[in-house]
Amino acid sequence: MSHSESHSESHSENPKSAYDFWERLYVPALIKGMAITTRHFLRNLWSERDDNTEVLERKTQSLMATVEYPEQRVPYPTGYRGKHRLVPREDGKPRCVACYMCATACPSQCIYIEAGEYAPSDTNTASRVIEKYPTVFMVDVLRCIVCGLCVEACPKDALRMDTSVHTSPELERKAFLYAKERLLAGEPTQHPNDPWRHRKSSDEPLHAHKEAHTRIGEDP
Amino acid sequence: MNDSSPKTPSPPTPVPPPAPPKTPPPPKNPGMVTLSVDDKEVVVKPGTSLIVAAHQVGVKIPHYCYHPRLSLSANCRMCMVEASNAPKLVPACQATVAEGQVVKTDTPKVKAQQRAVLEFLLLNHPVDCPICDQAGECKLQDYYVRYDFKPSRLWGPKVQKNKRKVLGPTVLMDQERCILCTRCVRFMKEVAKEPQLGIFGRGSHERVDVFPGAKLDSNYSGNLVELCPVGALLNRDFRFKARAWFLSAAPSVCTACSRGCNVFADYMNQDCFRFRPRENAAVNQSWMCDVGRKSYRWAGENRALHTLSHGKPVSVDEALNRAASLLQKAQGSIGVLASPAASNEDLMAALAFARDVLKVNMVFVSGRPDGAADKLLMMADKNPNRKGLEYIALALGIELKPFETFTPSAFQAVWVLGGEMPESDIVMAARLKTVPTVVQAQHASEWAHECQVLLPVASHLETECSMTQHEGLLQRCRQAFPPKGDSAPHWQWVMRLANLLGARMDWSSAKDVFSTIAPRIPEFANFDWEGQAPSKQSRPGLPLPAASDGRPPAYRQFACPSAKGCSP
Amino acid sequence: MRRLTITVAFLTIFASLFGGMAAAYALGGYLESVWYTGASALSNLVILMLVFVMVIATLLTLAERKWSALMQNRVGPNRARIHLPGLSSRSLAGIPHIIADVVKMLTKESFTPKAANRFFYALAPILSFAPIFALFAIVPAGPTLPVFGHEVAMVVANPSFGLLYLFALASLAVFGTVLAGWASNNKFSLLGGIRACAQMISYEIALGLSLVGLMMAFASIQLAGDSGMMEQQAQYLWGIQLDGFDVGIPAWGILIQPVGFLLFFAAAFAETRRTPFDMTECESEIIGYFVEYSGMRFGMFMVAEFVEMIVFSAILTTLFLGGYHLPFGGQWFANLAFFKDYPWVYGATMGMVFWLKVLVLIYIQMNIRWTYVRFRYDQIQKLGWKILIPLGILNIFVTGALLLMDTSMRSLGLLGILEILLILILISSSPKSSLHKPIGQNEALPSHH
Repeated sequence: MSHSESHSESHSENPKSAYDFWERLYVPALIKGMAITTRHFLRNLWSERDDNTEVLERKTQSLMATVEYPEQRVPYPTGYRGKHRLVPREDGKPRCVACYMCATACPSQCIYIEAGEYAPSDTNTASRVIEKYPTVFMVDVLRCIVCGLCVEACPKDALRMDTSVHTSPELERKAFLYAKERLLAGEPTQHPNDPWRHRKSSDEPLHAHKEAHTRIGEDP
Repeated sequence: MNDSSPKTPSPPTPVPPPAPPKTPPPPKNPGMVTLSVDDKEVVVKPGTSLIVAAHQVGVKIPHYCYHPRLSLSANCRMCMVEASNAPKLVPACQATVAEGQVVKTDTPKVKAQQRAVLEFLLLNHPVDCPICDQAGECKLQDYYVRYDFKPSRLWGPKVQKNKRKVLGPTVLMDQERCILCTRCVRFMKEVAKEPQLGIFGRGSHERVDVFPGAKLDSNYSGNLVELCPVGALLNRDFRFKARAWFLSAAPSVCTACSRGCNVFADYMNQDCFRFRPRENAAVNQSWMCDVGRKSYRWAGENRALHTLSHGKPVSVDEALNRAASLLQKAQGSIGVLASPAASNEDLMAALAFARDVLKVNMVFVSGRPDGAADKLLMMADKNPNRKGLEYIALALGIELKPFETFTPSAFQAVWVLGGEMPESDIVMAARLKTVPTVVQAQHASEWAHECQVLLPVASHLETECSMTQHEGLLQRCRQAFPPKGDSAPHWQWVMRLANLLGARMDWSSAKDVFSTIAPRIPEFANFDWEGQAPSKQSRPGLPLPAASDGRPPAYRQFACPSAKGCSP
Repeated sequence: MRRLTITVAFLTIFASLFGGMAAAYALGGYLESVWYTGASALSNLVILMLVFVMVIATLLTLAERKWSALMQNRVGPNRARIHLPGLSSRSLAGIPHIIADVVKMLTKESFTPKAANRFFYALAPILSFAPIFALFAIVPAGPTLPVFGHEVAMVVANPSFGLLYLFALASLAVFGTVLAGWASNNKFSLLGGIRACAQMISYEIALGLSLVGLMMAFASIQLAGDSGMMEQQAQYLWGIQLDGFDVGIPAWGILIQPVGFLLFFAAAFAETRRTPFDMTECESEIIGYFVEYSGMRFGMFMVAEFVEMIVFSAILTTLFLGGYHLPFGGQWFANLAFFKDYPWVYGATMGMVFWLKVLVLIYIQMNIRWTYVRFRYDQIQKLGWKILIPLGILNIFVTGALLLMDTSMRSLGLLGILEILLILILISSSPKSSLHKPIGQNEALPSHH
């Protein structure tokens, strides 16, 4: 017999067993409840208040657990998901290549992207190499549920929520549609396998001997 | 792309119905070969390849270079299977069946081979799926996930090739992504018969390219994009426009010429993004021409979306009232121009209306002017439904007259069904200026814009309809998305006009129109309108259709977030 | 630092109560001497009702929030600041919130719904505030003393029908509530009004019955005055003189009528319509009969609630806790030589004692409000009709029987003390663990071997 069965059965046999005589008298419990409230009242009234933001580490007798937010702030945990940002490359353009992975993963469908192509003659090396970029990248943060799946989905480390910043209050609905310019913020990031670090454009690199065998693993 | 279609046996060896099973050996079925694939018995004609035989019993063998409509090359080594009559693995696309053969496609040996082939193909593959248009319908992706799914053991740089080589007006090539299956080379040589592509170089530096100084300018180069199992050959027109998994596919028919190639219209929301050929052995096999491929734009560009009167927007009811009174006044002297680009249902409704309500017994045939033709698919007649118009007019007793004999001044009013005209806009404007005109047109051409009443018409992607191609074959188009703006199919406008003019026409769908009028037309009488329609859900060729997870097609609202006063 | 602040705050409360009462006596004496005999009633009206009651009610609007915060381990309101040098960084225990609230109430639009009955809609806040406020007129806040050669009674009016005045006015308050609920033309407020109607009318009966025993014991329904109910509580049931210092068991109402006290307390609490009797309000479900009110009209309802608390506490003090009398040593204290010369100091001290008793009762009401959960509608009716009223009737019979046997109230006092002891025993002897035992965990968990 499982636990839940025995639980319900014992109650159906003797429904009054949950409360004994003292509990059914109520008055002692009422008085005790008031005593508890008064104890809290006096303790909080009489003892000094400790406003350490780590509530569990507060030292004094006072039981007040309040953290007064704008002045005091609890440090965010390391995994905190803040405002979205588009990670810039070293040259200030977004790392994003408009692969739509974030928009695909987004359960609230709050990301909208339109893709464009960098011209083969672009003056920027990285742009010449990666070809594709978002002409429009919008996050509707009112729709966003801050699940972070877009960050997980991003194959290019181009979208992060590491800002530890909340979505700021706005007066207009349209101000919550974050466009590319607003999203592009924070420290530029580069990775060793970024394609533009290995070639100058999307053309074939000029080898002295194209046919000379470059084995896989060797730098051509 | 259509190699995995279940209805597509190799054309030289069409599959007969399975012979009745008989008892003991030697040839188990005389004249046929009996073998077992993964413990399932298969009976096929001698000379059938293993891949086709396996397909018959639902065993799918992965492959890159094999295509049922191309010659064998057996170079990708992905389809290697274990056969009882060979000491080593055999390529299933090339090996033919043998009596009593036992074929295994999922032994550890086969799996190790598949994994090894994928690792080899991925050695120099750039894995730039984020910027690759093929992502989502890429065989390399699918097979990697299904047959390999191991992290790469490679470190260090890969061979670098040209990632953005413009091969011609339609196709752009990324040589790094190429897995050298040579499907494209074989297609150009065998189907298009314009051998413009070749394999150059050796070893890791081998690549597909055009011959020096030449261009890939064949009218069939667009097929290479579908043929290419990876993202090496890309359509310049579709490039970076949308991701494959956002698109839903509606089975439809190309309306660029009277061939009536079967296509999938890939659409999202209310926009079509591309046409892909749909397998039909009787019409277009697996191919279509580049002109037709680009005709998807006609359904979206320069559309008339509002009811107009003298170029000014009026309400739908107002426009219909004006049109009705105009036709009422000119009763008995109305010139009717019918376009052979309109669908059967539209033409049925229109000609019935012309005969019974407008009391007209001859109709002038407008339509697009003739153009270039080629040996393979493209026809000179650019109107998809000329045959249908002829059938319907004949059955309804209406005389068809060529456009050249049409003189607007001979009539008190002109009713134009379909805006496609053999003459240029300027000429048409001058000719129709003299007489009150009611136009039902899909596009806001200049003359249509200036006429008395313009009723916007839905494109063939926005309605259920049927077309009759040049050989008299009746083909169905499925509705992809609802009509844009005020537009509606011709038959709806005709019905509303007729009801305003006192006749009773009561149809609720294109099917109603067809089933009301088609019995009078001998060519259409036996057509099962609903039964012949290709299923809307089917999406062969794409392993990850947008609706495969049970969502309705195009459910995803991939649209720009909007708020009052905001447009990106 | 905090303890110092709190000690100073307590001393300030004592001092201001003392000062206020001293001023009341002084003004009363002055008016008597310059105007006519009995003019001190006017000064009492101003100082006791307009100053004491209203100031305490105002402070209670903050205290309600601040005390509840302390009971719930919160900080409470502290964001309103006075932007003056040196003050802008201090919360001043939330006092600026009172100012902010008053300014808000006065300047906010007093909204009237389109379909409301305008006359009754405007009348309702007045009707719910005025009768309760007027109740305080019969409560004596200090002894009658000669000041500037004139007798000053610390009560606005001392009618011979004292308690009847109380019942009459207390039952008027229901009109304000019901009218507010009906005249707003809002479903939720109407619900609140109907609930208030049912609840308050039920508890009027218990309220009346609970005091009958006391009337019989004191043989009076007058509150103040020499033969009034409060003066009679100064006598001892059993008392002795220890070297001039008098000790004993006083004839306080709570000792001779503990059941009456509980019944009156419960009924009065229900009349104030505060948690656990806040069926009429139910912030979490219907918001209450005043849902459509805003601005100062809503403020009237809010202040009425606090005034009601003060007034009922004052009446409880007067009837059951000996008014301004000390529990022992009262005669010794009154006979101190210093007070013979300065009788107004004696009066002010006694007044302070009265107000302190009132404040303690207010605290207990707050404590109850922030400890218990709301009764269900049926529970309220059950408590009123099935417990309070039968107990009240029983109390009348028992009191009557005991008074017939012994007119000196001693047997009543004996019974009362026994009853109080019984409750104390019940509290102290209830097993501690039973309160913390999780329900349904009596059985041992089955083993999973």
